[in-house]
Formats: sequence, C-alpha cells, structure tokens
Amino acid sequence: MTVEIQLIKNVPAHNDKVWSISIHKTLPLLATVSSDKVCKIFNLKTFELISDLDNTHKRSIRSVSWKPTNDFGPSLACGSFDSTISVWGTDDDEWSLLAVIEGHENEVKCVDWSSNGDLLASCSRDKSIWIWEADDHNEEFECISVLQEHTQDVKHVVWHPSLDLLASSSYDDSIRLWKEDDDDWLCAAELKGHKGTVWCSDFEASEEKLRLVSCSDDCTVKIWENQPDDYDENVWRLQSELPISHSRAIYSVSWSSNSGRIASVGSDGKLVIYEEVQSNIWNIIATKELSHGVYEVNTVKWFISEDKEFLITGGDDGSIKIWNV
Amino acid sequence: MSEVINANPTILDDSLLPTRESVHPKAGEDRLNPKIDALLSLSLSNEFGSSVSPNTPPSLTDDEDDEENDPIDSQEIFDLIAHISDPEHPLTLGQLAVINLPDIKVIDSGDANKMAEVIIKITPTITHCSLATLIGLGIRVRLERSLPPRFRITILVKEGTHQSENQVNKQLNDKERVAAACENDQLLSVISKMLSTCK
Repeated sequence: MTVEIQLIKNVPAHNDKVWSISIHKTLPLLATVSSDKVCKIFNLKTFELISDLDNTHKRSIRSVSWKPTNDFGPSLACGSFDSTISVWGTDDDEWSLLAVIEGHENEVKCVDWSSNGDLLASCSRDKSIWIWEADDHNEEFECISVLQEHTQDVKHVVWHPSLDLLASSSYDDSIRLWKEDDDDWLCAAELKGHKGTVWCSDFEASEEKLRLVSCSDDCTVKIWENQPDDYDENVWRLQSELPISHSRAIYSVSWSSNSGRIASVGSDGKLVIYEEVQSNIWNIIATKELSHGVYEVNTVKWFISEDKEFLITGGDDGSIKIWNV
Repeated sequence: MSEVINANPTILDDSLLPTRESVHPKAGEDRLNPKIDALLSLSLSNEFGSSVSPNTPPSLTDDEDDEENDPIDSQEIFDLIAHISDPEHPLTLGQLAVINLPDIKVIDSGDANKMAEVIIKITPTITHCSLATLIGLGIRVRLERSLPPRFRITILVKEGTHQSENQVNKQLNDKERVAAACENDQLLSVISKMLSTCK
C-alpha cells in the first residue's frame, strides 16, 4: 500500500535554518526554533504567529520542547548553542522569560520534558546529560543528576511518552537508555549497531511493547526492542532495520502515537514514511523527494488533530511545512 | 601561532597551478572549448529537457535559463578554494598541494532545483597536522558562502595522509558541529584571515 504526501501549508517562519519544532500535547500550539536565535509560537489551526521569543540567546537555538502539563499556563524550554536553556511561559497573552538554566560547558543540543512535566533533560557537546527537576511555576530548576557515560557529544534526548525512561543519541554512534534507580539515574542499556552519529530517536507509544526507533549518519533507521529475560529487565535488542531510502545523513525520526507509522527526514531532503505491515516487517509507504526544495530537512514530527494525522517538517530554508498523509 | 608544525613544506609555483581564470572564452582567443562546452551542456540537459524542447518558443529568459543550467565543475571549485591561505604558512592551499584538482569530484546537473554534490579530498602537509580540521573548515565555509544551496559538500582527508583520518572526517562533515563552530568569533576571525587571499 502506498499513500500520498500532500503539502497543505508552507510557513516561511525563520530567516535561517529551522533546527527543531515542538507540538503541544493538548493545545493547538507549535513552537519552532532556528539559527536566527528566535523561538516562534504559532497557532496550529490558523498558523498565525502568536509570539516571537527573542533577545535572549546569543547563538542558534537548537532545540525546543513544550512542557506537557499546563497547571499555570503553557510553557516551553529552548536549548541553545550559547550553552544555556531558557524557559518561557504565559498566563494570558504575554509571553515571558521565566528562567535561564546554566550548567552545560558548551552547546546545548537538545532539551525534552518528561511525560508528567516533572523533569527536564538536556544534553550537550560537553558529553553530558543533565536531569533537572522543575517546580510548578518553572522558576526553580534543580539538577538532580549528571550522566556522563557517552564518550562524545550527546546529540538528542527523548523521554518515553508515559514512563520515566530516557533515551540519548550520540556522536559516539551509540544510544543509551536511562532509568531512575534508588534516587539515582543509571544507564540501563547501551544500544550499539549504528555506524555513524546517531542524530535522533523516538519511542513507540504502546502499552504492550517497549520499542525505540533511531536514525543516523549511516543512512539507516533501526528499531530496538526491550526483551526482558528472567535475570535482566534491561535487555534491548536490535529488532529490525527499516528499508533504506535516504542517501545522506538522517537527522530526525518520529513515531506516530496514532497510526504507529514512522517518518524520517535528512540531508537528502527526502521525507519518508514507513508502516509495519506485519509484526517487525516494515515497508516504505510514501516518499517525498525535495520536500524543502534543495535544502536539508532537520526535523519531522507527527501531529494528530481530530483523528487525522499530519506531518510537520522544518528545514534549512527557514520554512515549516505541514503535510497531509 | 608560536610553533610551526611543518617548518619546511613543499611549495608549488602559483603560476603553474591549474586554472581557468586566464582561459575565459574571449573574442579572438584560439579555443575550441566553447563549442565542446555547448555540446556537453546539451547532452547533460536531456533529463530536464523541457526547457530546450523544440516546441518551446524562444523567450527573453532563455539566456538566463542557460546560465542557471550551467553546471559547476571541479576546476571552478579548485579556483574557489586554491587561494585560501594556509593557517601557518604565508602560502595558499594550492601552492602547498593540500588541494589538488584530481581530488575534487563534482556531481552537478546545473539545475538549480536539483541537488548537487562536491567531494573534496585534502592532503595535509604532514600526517599529524593538527590544523587539518581548521583547513577543512575554511574550505567548507568558503564553499558554503560561494556555492548555490543545491550543493552538498563533503570534505575528507585523503586516505593514508593523516593519522586520525576518521576523526577529522567525522568532525568536518557534522552539520551541527560546523554550524556551532561558525558561531565562534575567534575561529571565524582565523578563517576570515585564511579566506582573505581568495580571488
């Protein structure tokens, strides 16, 4: 079965590379960040610009993540090459800077909130991952753990959609999984198999299975599964390799919580969608060449609205594109 | 730089380096190449041939289209980067044979709407040259600034010419690291100096 990928909206959002986007879990809000040092917030229904969060970071903003809980209004975190993380929130219409978190030695590459919004994870070229505990108002952040087992830059961190389980991807070609154990955070597993920088990973939203998809400079997309045995619950195995389609580094991968489909984008500008046709057997069901013209595509995310699925991509051309699948 | 890493490099004569700067098609010049170029561009344009199809009436924009569809070749790339200065010698990368024409590979249809690729293998002057990364970064910055966005640039250290080949290659082709390096003012000023000798 093949499906069609249709462009439904092109938003020329930034003046420079779009590095990362984040879609709010419950509200129709999209946040985008760029080398132009601005974080933009859009209304996901009308694509109207709601706010520019700027004049804070001195270098590119590499990553953005919405906090999934909004007891005090929506809020988000931005990680920048200037080594700091900024946290922003709104009560009514005004967006304001709530906190600037310092700690990393150099470029922050990714930030992500845990599913209940209690924890924020950040990673950096300094090879470390920091786990921060936030208060409800997002004003105080306490570092509860610094994880330093990666031997090179940590490119990406992502929390499981319902568990306190964190996956990190690195320039050292490996993925690590982290869990809390007796008040301390420990590396539960190391996934080796990629032959190049691992740029991104994403968990499947499933109650029965625990699976992770990863993408790499080696042009492959791999799926890893937790297969606990009698002695060890932290056994992870390479379960399948998705059909090869990309010809250059794959920068971003997203696993739909709705259809279970996976999407990937990268340096070759292709947007590829995969579907699991039988257990562990994946097919490519759609490919869009030159999705951002001749520019590289840095990020892809699934977005579900009224039971319909869309994809949102961001590229080096500074634009955000919304795709109907 | 306090200590020179390679104090006695081999130097090529600048005037003997391959170049096209002097052989631009000019009236009165004894040259067959323009014809050959025209033939080549015709054969290359087949796959995006709608613009040259006989049914298309000639228009004023034809000339512009031709220019857009003029593919970039390795000599042009060489001319762009051979005059970059070495970070430690008052010499260019061409003179030091860090950059050599046969080690530049270009895949380009000339079509602004299709992706193109350039792969450059650099030959550091000595195998432990710690400046290889800086040289590679200088080349990348020069090309990213000069080439149209359709180009994907790969810069590699030539096989067997550097003891940490893989490390240097990985760093030079990591988009994120390059982007971050280009926001470092100190590094940028060193690179600007290297690029100041470009023609």
